[in-house]
Amino acid sequence: MRQFLILFFLFGFCNLQAQDIDNDIIAIQKRSDTIIKFSAEVKINVDISFINIPGKAARIEYAKNEETKVYSEDFVLIPKKGLDVSLYQLFKDPFITVDRGTEIRHLKEYKRVNIIPTKRKSDFSIATVLIDLEYSRIIEYEINTKKDGSYIVKMNYAKPTSILPSKIEVTFEIERIRIPLKYMGKDVQVDKKKYKSDDPKTGTIFLSFNYTDLIYK
Amino acid sequence: MKNLIFAEVYKLFKQRKTYYAIAAIFLIEIIILFSAYSQGQSILDILLDNLSQSFHFEGNLLNGNLLIYLILNTLWFHLPLILIIIISGTLTSEYKDRTVLSVMLQPISKWKFILSKYIVAILFTLTIVLFLAMTSFLLSYAIFGKGDLIVFIDTLNFFESSGAYYRIKYAFLFGSISMVFFSVVSLTLAIILEETTKTWIAAAFFLIISNILLKVNFNNYFLDKWLYVKLTDTWQYLFYFEIPWDKIYWNTSLIIVYTIVTMLVGIIIFNKKDIA
Amino acid sequence: MIISGQNLSKSYTSINALNDVSITCSAGEIVGVVGANGSGKSTLFKILLRVMKPDTGTVTINSKRIKPIGGIIEKPALYEYLNPYENLKIFASMQGLETNRQFFLDSLTKVGLPLNRKDPVRNFSMGMKQRLGIAIALLNNPECLVLDEPFSGLDPIGIASLHKLITSLATEEGLAILISSHILDELNKVCHRLNVLKYGKIIQSGTTQELLNKCTTAYVITASNIISSSILNTYNVTFKNDQATVIIQPGKISELLQILHSEHINITSCVPEISMNKLFEN
Repeated sequence: MRQFLILFFLFGFCNLQAQDIDNDIIAIQKRSDTIIKFSAEVKINVDISFINIPGKAARIEYAKNEETKVYSEDFVLIPKKGLDVSLYQLFKDPFITVDRGTEIRHLKEYKRVNIIPTKRKSDFSIATVLIDLEYSRIIEYEINTKKDGSYIVKMNYAKPTSILPSKIEVTFEIERIRIPLKYMGKDVQVDKKKYKSDDPKTGTIFLSFNYTDLIYK
Repeated sequence: MKNLIFAEVYKLFKQRKTYYAIAAIFLIEIIILFSAYSQGQSILDILLDNLSQSFHFEGNLLNGNLLIYLILNTLWFHLPLILIIIISGTLTSEYKDRTVLSVMLQPISKWKFILSKYIVAILFTLTIVLFLAMTSFLLSYAIFGKGDLIVFIDTLNFFESSGAYYRIKYAFLFGSISMVFFSVVSLTLAIILEETTKTWIAAAFFLIISNILLKVNFNNYFLDKWLYVKLTDTWQYLFYFEIPWDKIYWNTSLIIVYTIVTMLVGIIIFNKKDIA
Repeated sequence: MIISGQNLSKSYTSINALNDVSITCSAGEIVGVVGANGSGKSTLFKILLRVMKPDTGTVTINSKRIKPIGGIIEKPALYEYLNPYENLKIFASMQGLETNRQFFLDSLTKVGLPLNRKDPVRNFSMGMKQRLGIAIALLNNPECLVLDEPFSGLDPIGIASLHKLITSLATEEGLAILISSHILDELNKVCHRLNVLKYGKIIQSGTTQELLNKCTTAYVITASNIISSSILNTYNVTFKNDQATVIIQPGKISELLQILHSEHINITSCVPEISMNKLFEN
């Protein structure tokens, strides 16, 4: 009996090991996989306290299994994070998931899941995603990258059936600019306390997408 | 009065030193343009260093607009220095050659004579700034093209090309008013001192002191609002993200008042002086 | 009378430049002011030209012209980087004179300046600059001309030529002309009247002839055979080559010349010698 129980638990755990990827994540991954390629006109607005930049436009081109390409005629700050609308970065390397329960946002329940890449050379160490179970898509994820810090991506979708988000909001930490005084600018009244402050600032990028040439599988 | 003004213009452009001055200004502009171009990339790299962690940069910031902006920053000392030499020379040379006396022996009113010199000084200054603006735009855009302008004034401000052009254009306009003030001061010093070298030294000293005091933080509301040294860099406000037009109009009106007062003082002194 | 200065006085800090000086000049008259350097000639002329205010006294100019009086103080002050034509043009335009090219050419011709010199005035001789200065002074037809030391720096040919010009301006155009100099010889050939200025005061005044007669103490008589004259032995005389300097009163010179003529002395010139001491004695 005891031996049977030990075997049962062992098989049970093995079965748990076989269940590494959450089914909802798999469904989302499958949906994302249907996208072969697309182009989009992106409007980029940046909200960082020490930067004033007008809204800019750019064009992005995505092809499956390739990095997203960005084109612009004007000068544009292209965020390193947040343009990954197909969630390619999240799913490109093998990973496991851990169920973190649910979270209520605006009276709606969402599922929280950790995505942990198993490959050592993966770009990120852990991501926490918030899943809209009703429409089988991710509405928010927080990702801790190895090189580019951590950031939070919030996604808004135009229609219930949309796979790709129409609006994305990326929030991240950024260090204040430190430059010598009187460099290309007026000698303003320098707030020494503010200048000496080491606190990194938070920045937010607002992206809105207008998709064209969308090709599904 | 019109005849006196035309005569002053004629005299100014009949002298070789006027053309030497224009050539010098143009040469300085060329030198600044190319040194700004070679320095510009390192300035940009420093400014954008923190941002490069979070952003890629698409597009070229080292463009004509940035170079004109760098020219603007450097020229507001070099340009008035040359202007004060030419403008004060329009009177000190007449004292030296005693043509002031010859003129006063004609049926010419003293105050009209000196007022015509002031008017021509102002017109010449504005013409030179216009020449500088046009050549800057022409050379910078032709060689380096247009593009977004990046300016650091407490915050990092990015201006789209059309917006940058608009701001730079008005910066030249408001900057020219500061230049007129320095020209008028140099002519007034010429009235008081008469002698060429003394006038140059006094006018250059005035310019240097103004530049030094501009950087000093008086922490005094009255001085910061009314002292003329705080008004001469009004053009910089054009590069705040939200242009403080009220402040610009106030500063410009005040410096125009100071210019007129300086002119009046010069006219009164000249009128009272015994020319012989 | 075109110009009149009455009881003019002027001081500079500790120096009394002019002390109660009165002077007049009428149309067609050339009046000279002779004085040593620093006697107050330039100060007087500056006051007459109204570029300096006197401490006391008045200047009256009886002329209704736009420019009643023209002049030159010390050296003519010209725009050295302009040529004569351009100088005239600029001075004319400054005073609102409506003219044409021919007018300027005529003005240059009047003062004896060449029309083909297009180079700047800085290349000109002093004589030519003086002439241009006079041409500028004559713009707008003043009735009176005041020339302070116009012969200064000129060679003898230049002086002679300027004499001729000044005389023609007075006689042909009826200008009242005031000239100053520290050299009497320059003035006595052109002036109708002379004033002697010493330490800011006029110490002698009168027609040129009167003044010269008053101050002449000797004559220099030139003749090839002067040494053979016997009458001269009765005078206080000094011989030098063909010249004899005879101390004699002006009233008696004509008599002496007649006697010399009767002695067959071939007189070629007889020049009065003026005693500066007498001229400048108070």
